[in-house]
Amino acid sequence: MKKLLYVALNELLLLFKDKMAAVWMIILPLAMTTIMGMVFGDLGGGTDTAVMDLPVVDHDGGEMAATVLDILSQTENLHVETSYDDQTARQLVTDGKRAGTVIIPPDFSAAITSGQPTTLELIVAPGGQTTPLLEGTVRGVTSGLSNVQTTLEVVISEVQRATGSYVLDYEGIAERVIATALERLQNPTVHAGVTTVGSAKEELDIFDQMVPGYAVMFAMFSVLGGAGTILEEKERGTFKRLLIVPLPKVALLGGKLVAQFLVGVVQIALMFAFGTLLFHVSLGDSILGLVLLTLATCWATTSLGLLLVAIIKSRKQIHPITTLIILGSSAIGGSWFPLFMMPKAVQQVARVTLVAWAMEGYNQLMILGGSLADVSVDIGVLILYGATCFAIGLRLFRFKES
Amino acid sequence: MVVVDNLHKHYGDPSAALRPSPRRLGRSGRDSKRGVRAVDGISFEIRRGEIFGLLGPNGAGKTTTINVLCTYAEPTAGEVTVAGHSVTTEPGAVKRAIGVVPQEIALYPDLDAVENLRFFGRMVDVPRARLGQRISELLALVGLTEHARRRVEHYSGGMKRRLNLAAGLLSEPRFLMLDEPTVGVDPQSRNAIFENIRELNHQGLTILYTTHYMEEAELLCHRVAIMDEGRIIALDTPQNLINTLGTGIIHIGVKDVDDGIVARLKALPQVKAVNRRENTLAFETVDAQRVLLDMIRLFNEMDMPMTSLEILEPNLESVFIQLTGKQLRDA
Repeated sequence: MKKLLYVALNELLLLFKDKMAAVWMIILPLAMTTIMGMVFGDLGGGTDTAVMDLPVVDHDGGEMAATVLDILSQTENLHVETSYDDQTARQLVTDGKRAGTVIIPPDFSAAITSGQPTTLELIVAPGGQTTPLLEGTVRGVTSGLSNVQTTLEVVISEVQRATGSYVLDYEGIAERVIATALERLQNPTVHAGVTTVGSAKEELDIFDQMVPGYAVMFAMFSVLGGAGTILEEKERGTFKRLLIVPLPKVALLGGKLVAQFLVGVVQIALMFAFGTLLFHVSLGDSILGLVLLTLATCWATTSLGLLLVAIIKSRKQIHPITTLIILGSSAIGGSWFPLFMMPKAVQQVARVTLVAWAMEGYNQLMILGGSLADVSVDIGVLILYGATCFAIGLRLFRFKES
Repeated sequence: MVVVDNLHKHYGDPSAALRPSPRRLGRSGRDSKRGVRAVDGISFEIRRGEIFGLLGPNGAGKTTTINVLCTYAEPTAGEVTVAGHSVTTEPGAVKRAIGVVPQEIALYPDLDAVENLRFFGRMVDVPRARLGQRISELLALVGLTEHARRRVEHYSGGMKRRLNLAAGLLSEPRFLMLDEPTVGVDPQSRNAIFENIRELNHQGLTILYTTHYMEEAELLCHRVAIMDEGRIIALDTPQNLINTLGTGIIHIGVKDVDDGIVARLKALPQVKAVNRRENTLAFETVDAQRVLLDMIRLFNEMDMPMTSLEILEPNLESVFIQLTGKQLRDA
């Protein structure tokens, strides 16, 4: 046991002496997290959510057109522009300078009040990401105005039936119905209630995703890089020197793996500490869950390192292979983007990576405010993943010549 | 101190040991289908307090022999005991009795000399209270005290070799194995290493020294075993081995030669033996200078052209050439 600790301490001393280690463990992860966070901005509607400019061309100028403009202007994240003519507005969309434009046709108000069909035209660029948002907004408006027309027809019909007279003050009835309908349209008495289950934070910040994502990715770089040093030692001869002294093999390999495991834990802890201090990342409500998930992630990563070292025979081979594994599993496993944003097929494939299980757990704890129980499956899978890699890796690992 | 009895070590197909000799496998000793027989039935003893040399070209089996002696590699067949302990059944006891200076610079380049020696000292169970003093002694022995705190990566090749030696001595072993300890070092460091080895031997340390530099073996070793293709082809003191050559070896290149001509050359009074290898005749002579004129005259009488002529100094290199027909360094 004492020698195992000496081997582990020596590994840590070597890491401490390696000038590039500080770059890999601290500077690069923080720099990457900061840069990517700034590039992608808020993920879920933070305070700086972008506002979309929407040119609206009013060929009508009537009361209904004014109502449309009023409703659109009050829509969150929309900035209505009325200064463009029809041609300019269409050209702006064609040039990709605006996501879309709304054209209010001539006699729009008259058509509404007289029950005649009319079209509120929405022009959008093909494939635009905001098209569904604009389309939904315009459909909401047209749906409301259709309801006004329906209400008016029903009211007049009912008044005619009740009074038995067809000589009525149609204009007065229409004005009152429309005024009431429009007032309701702008200040609805029936609301849609949207409830989010769980105790998720009100505002999802990109750093809540990126800090654990990059923590796991760079921990993998550190741990698998550490595993690569076993091959380096084999090539250098120090591993052989340690095999011909009175040192149990379990102490030799165990010491190296313990050091790699600790490096992974420290790497993730450092990233979380910096994430909390610099980016105000929330660590969630279950610190125990976070600790156990981190230990399970590092166990799985360390074991994966042992497996790779057992299979791969030279230092030249291991670096490109581990880089491919780390970047590939990070990309599909949720280190860079939340797993739920991936296509279903990718989400299924990602389950073979330890990153996916780790990130699912971290997102559950840090974004959705989950408990230890909520991540118990993730922790269990990671422990099993590590045990499998460890067993196979140990079976295949060759200390020396036969 | 060391007894090696009919040691075999091969890699790959286990049945390779029963197949034809390494000569049939080619110069590398490798048969792609059958594996490699690195050591092919060698036997020798190393006496307490002697410096024993294992000589031979690269690939002769020297390092494999050391690997077996230090328990790194298991023998395929044969018995090996070190300090009275079997390398197969008592590897722990063997490890505690030996020190090894591997051919590689088996040190951590990012650490300084003290950090390297402290770590390896802990690994060989040097008591904590003794470790600091032991490190100081060894650094003084190999002349690196002033460089104790420099990173090894900044050392010269010779300094690294000397520190490599110091690391092998940490456990105060009874038997030290040095595998090509002077490869790639400058003459000054080489002499320093020689001095260290002699000093250690004077203190009673038994040493196994492998090299492919014959002059090193002549300078240092009490006895030497010459290895080639996994076998020991000669074993004696350097002087006795050299004496077998007489006072000189003459190699004469020829185009064609028959048994009758060889018989006439062998009958010359100063010639002890003649060996034919392809287009070269190798003569062991009592006096190379005197017999040379007689040989030239005889070749002229027989109207036989010489394509080359070489007189070899009587040394271990010549012994190797005489025994194998190969140059040592490119064998």
